[in-house]
Amino acid sequence: MAKRKNRKKWNRKKTGVLAGLGVLLIVLVFIFFRGNREKIRQIVEASFPKDASATQETLGSRTVTLFFLSDEDGMLHPEEREIEVAASPVLEAQQVIRELIKGPAGGLIATIPRDTRLRQVFITKQGVAYVDFSKDIVEKYSYGSSGEMATVYSIVNSLASNFKSIKKVAILIEGSEKETLGGHIDLSQPFSPLNSLTAK
Amino acid sequence: MSSDAGSIPAASTKPTRGEVDLNKRILTSLAVVWLAGSLSPLFSQSPRLRLSAKDHPGFCRVTIAASLPLKYSLERAGSNLLVNIESSAAFRIQRETLQSEFVRSIGWSKGGGSYTLLIELKFAAFSFEHSVRENPYQLIIDLRRNEAPESKPAPPAPAAEKREAPPPASGAALQPSPVIKGKTGEQGGGVPPPVNQGSLNTDAGGPASAARNRATDSRAGSERGQSAGRLKTIVIDPGHGGLEVGAKGKFGTLEKDITLAIGLKLKAVVERNLAFRVVMTRDKDGDITLENRAALANNHKADIFISVHTNGSSRKKAQGSETFFLSLNATDEESRRLAYMENTSDALEGQIDKENKDDIRMILWDLAQTAYLKQSSKLAEIIQSELNELLGTRNRGIKQAPFKVLTGVACPAVLVEVAFISNPDEEKSLLSEDFQERVAQAIYRGLRQYLQLYS
Repeated sequence: MAKRKNRKKWNRKKTGVLAGLGVLLIVLVFIFFRGNREKIRQIVEASFPKDASATQETLGSRTVTLFFLSDEDGMLHPEEREIEVAASPVLEAQQVIRELIKGPAGGLIATIPRDTRLRQVFITKQGVAYVDFSKDIVEKYSYGSSGEMATVYSIVNSLASNFKSIKKVAILIEGSEKETLGGHIDLSQPFSPLNSLTAK
Repeated sequence: MSSDAGSIPAASTKPTRGEVDLNKRILTSLAVVWLAGSLSPLFSQSPRLRLSAKDHPGFCRVTIAASLPLKYSLERAGSNLLVNIESSAAFRIQRETLQSEFVRSIGWSKGGGSYTLLIELKFAAFSFEHSVRENPYQLIIDLRRNEAPESKPAPPAPAAEKREAPPPASGAALQPSPVIKGKTGEQGGGVPPPVNQGSLNTDAGGPASAARNRATDSRAGSERGQSAGRLKTIVIDPGHGGLEVGAKGKFGTLEKDITLAIGLKLKAVVERNLAFRVVMTRDKDGDITLENRAALANNHKADIFISVHTNGSSRKKAQGSETFFLSLNATDEESRRLAYMENTSDALEGQIDKENKDDIRMILWDLAQTAYLKQSSKLAEIIQSELNELLGTRNRGIKQAPFKVLTGVACPAVLVEVAFISNPDEEKSLLSEDFQERVAQAIYRGLRQYLQLYS
């Protein structure tokens, strides 16, 4: 009788241990996938923008403000552009960056080498826009600190000022993080817009 | 009673259905344990590095024992040997007490996907050999002193003497030249004066602990008190180098060449006038990563870090000098770490076991500069006003920017953009030795003023 009781106890213990291990496994798997889930979501969002956009090409246009460099005062000055209204901010942000690469229409100075390709834009739920450029953005300019600041913040300020959903901007080169564009400004963290660089 | 007694042996030989289930469950649980075990290195068990240095007759053997094979490369920088180790995982680093006639300290820094171990030697003229042993993995580096024909740095001040008469802490750092002349060797600051042996043994901590000590200090509001009793060190960082040429002028002048020329002139003028040890992050052309520059400064327990650059812009009208200090491009993670750093007290550290301590120091080390932003902005301001006054360059003022090279530096640190190399007029000036000398003088005067005000 006592032995059977013991065995029951033993079984219960086993079950307890098993349950514990099971929970542990679930936690581990959760930790393992949680890091990537956000990334997967971003990639999916960027590759398959909301279906509506495919059919509704003509949602009209909207005015956006781009920032280019002024030779006069070295500040970033606004220039307005029309872009097509799209179903997702990602698609509109892509247009803004492409316009930025095309360069200013008059008077101001371009901040991104013309040959640069925009590879990808994605926006996280937390409001960080990841902008992925081809390596031309690094190779086609010889950057000094001021040049690098102008390039980085023309991108950051142009995106942040046109989209409520973008709070910060991170710059990627060929799909991955790069230390700097030319040896100065740290690209490893997303940038908040810097209004002190824009002309009042 | 008897039936009970009978059923039990039966059960043990011929399993009942319930027990088959139990066995299955045991098997499953074993599988789970195995799975958890094999996954766990991803989460908890970080790979280990164990660093030790041992003197042998004629050479010193540095052993880096690792729990997994290392992908590494070696790089020489002045009196330092840098060991770059690729690793996406975070190492747990253990260090044995260092007592060596060859090696002053071993420190490390961590950057995206790699670690840099910085082995600081007591002399710049050294050669090294490296080999690898398997099972367990060991990277072995043998360091030898090269026989210098005219051994210039004859020990100018024996350790004992230094201990009795430490250089006074504050304003007295400004001493006339003769005091320092013999001490700082000619090899790019590569032959630093001997360091107090006693403190060396207990404080072989290297950069991380330096970062921590300093961080703690500045919180306590006694930024410089702690450095009393040892010679102050300034690290001069000529921007760019090697394949990384920096900005280019219209006439083809490369930023890396001008920064080196000005950096060396600054070193000379500082050594002539201040009782400072001067360390160059590079004293010739060569590639040095931004992280290694900061690591070098911290490993030398730098008191001031000055990075020299020439500016570049696609603006034709861009001209003048600018002095930068770090602005944090603060993310949530960074502010959290910052808060952590501010809240870390020695009392808290006392509760952390020794192994974890190293990891924590490393966290602090990433953000070392944040503790010095106030001093850095002062230093930037003073240097900038000197540059404006002397060079008649238009005041572009001091600015804050997230400069990579400054983030990990554990002392007041600025980045001076002397003039625009992209502006043809200024490019011509930058090429002239006279202009370079005047820039060096201006930076030096700024430095001296800063020391008078904040020592």
